Amino acid sequence: MKGVLLSGGTGSRLRPITHTGPKQLVPVANKPVLEYAIEDLKDAGVTEIGVILGHKGREEIQELLGDGSDYGVEITYIVQGNPLGLAHAAGCARDFVGDDDFVMYLGDNILKQGIAELVESFERGDYGAGIALQEVDNPQQFGIADVDDDGTVTQLIEKPDEPPTNLALIGIYVFSNEVFDVIERLEPSWRGELEITDAIQTLLEDGHDIDSHVVRGWWKDTGKPEDILEANRLVLEDDHLERNGRVAPDATVDGRVDLHETATIEDGAVVRGPVSISENTVIESGTYVGPYTSIGPDSTLKGVHIENSVVIGDTTIRTNGKIVDSLLGRGANVGRADDELPEGRRLVVGENSQLKL
Amino acid sequence: MRIITHTCTECGTVVSANELEGNRVMKCPGLDCANVLRFADLPQEDRQFFLEHAEQYEL
Repeated sequence: MKGVLLSGGTGSRLRPITHTGPKQLVPVANKPVLEYAIEDLKDAGVTEIGVILGHKGREEIQELLGDGSDYGVEITYIVQGNPLGLAHAAGCARDFVGDDDFVMYLGDNILKQGIAELVESFERGDYGAGIALQEVDNPQQFGIADVDDDGTVTQLIEKPDEPPTNLALIGIYVFSNEVFDVIERLEPSWRGELEITDAIQTLLEDGHDIDSHVVRGWWKDTGKPEDILEANRLVLEDDHLERNGRVAPDATVDGRVDLHETATIEDGAVVRGPVSISENTVIESGTYVGPYTSIGPDSTLKGVHIENSVVIGDTTIRTNGKIVDSLLGRGANVGRADDELPEGRRLVVGENSQLKL
Repeated sequence: MRIITHTCTECGTVVSANELEGNRVMKCPGLDCANVLRFADLPQEDRQFFLEHAEQYEL
């Protein structure tokens, strides 16, 4: 079994964060989203991984993952170029996959329980494909699977008006090698893409059984800022957090706090977990860091009250204001304007930014 | 849809035909690989098929 990890896409819904990097490298609990997928694949016994690259972030992704040895896996890079659909991405991996079966994992997805059960279920039978499903409240907005009592898929429907189930396809699939011949027969859809749902539907029509596995724990597609914040909250809620850094005697630290060994919480600061604070970051006096916040590396916070937020890193925040439910990109600086005239906020805001003042 | 790729002989990076055709001559996108890849590296039949169906490979 091999792995195909999709790391293309423009990340348009995460702008301006993705103006300077790929969405798969946005950190959740101070770890790039893509690393969670690599770990899930490895935990499922998949150690040969093809990473699909689009136009954006090729160098950054290769610099992070390298040849995979830091993660205990072996990585081959596959340049898809134009984003011609998930089935096109899978087709580009044909030479890499060879005669094996493969797991296809969307690199901006993150899920609690991993993919081992999905892979094991697929391997127990003689299936053309296996799909991960999750129960959703709004099935009209998803690709939906109808399944029989054994979990074998009987029908796939894209955004149905009258959904037969509330089981939505999430971005993780297992394919037998037969899918490559099916992809060769597919035509681009109305939006000019080779659709993976068309490939699965064709496997079904060709008489292949399609396995399904319902993911019970949480799952997030981290395509939007609010998704990053929620994924950050979910991971911090579940993760084992280690307090290795320096906590000054007159600092107050409650709850679970992941503190890098080079990070510091100074006297007069208050940190209430779950929180993650990365390397070389300093939380200075008068600062409050509240639950579900991740502060990236090389950052300094002074005076701010910050909660339920992600600070990616290389950031200085020196203000008495309150920051909540926020995502701050790398190198962002937030200062105070209290002593400046005329009164007012001073902003240098990138394209596609969202502010609530 | 026929999907055509080329594998760099130096580093093993796989590159799709639309990427090769778009650049014609390009440095291998594999990090630290200095190999030069060309659309002409593809077999004649693949090149001809790609060019005859180029609209399929465009956005």
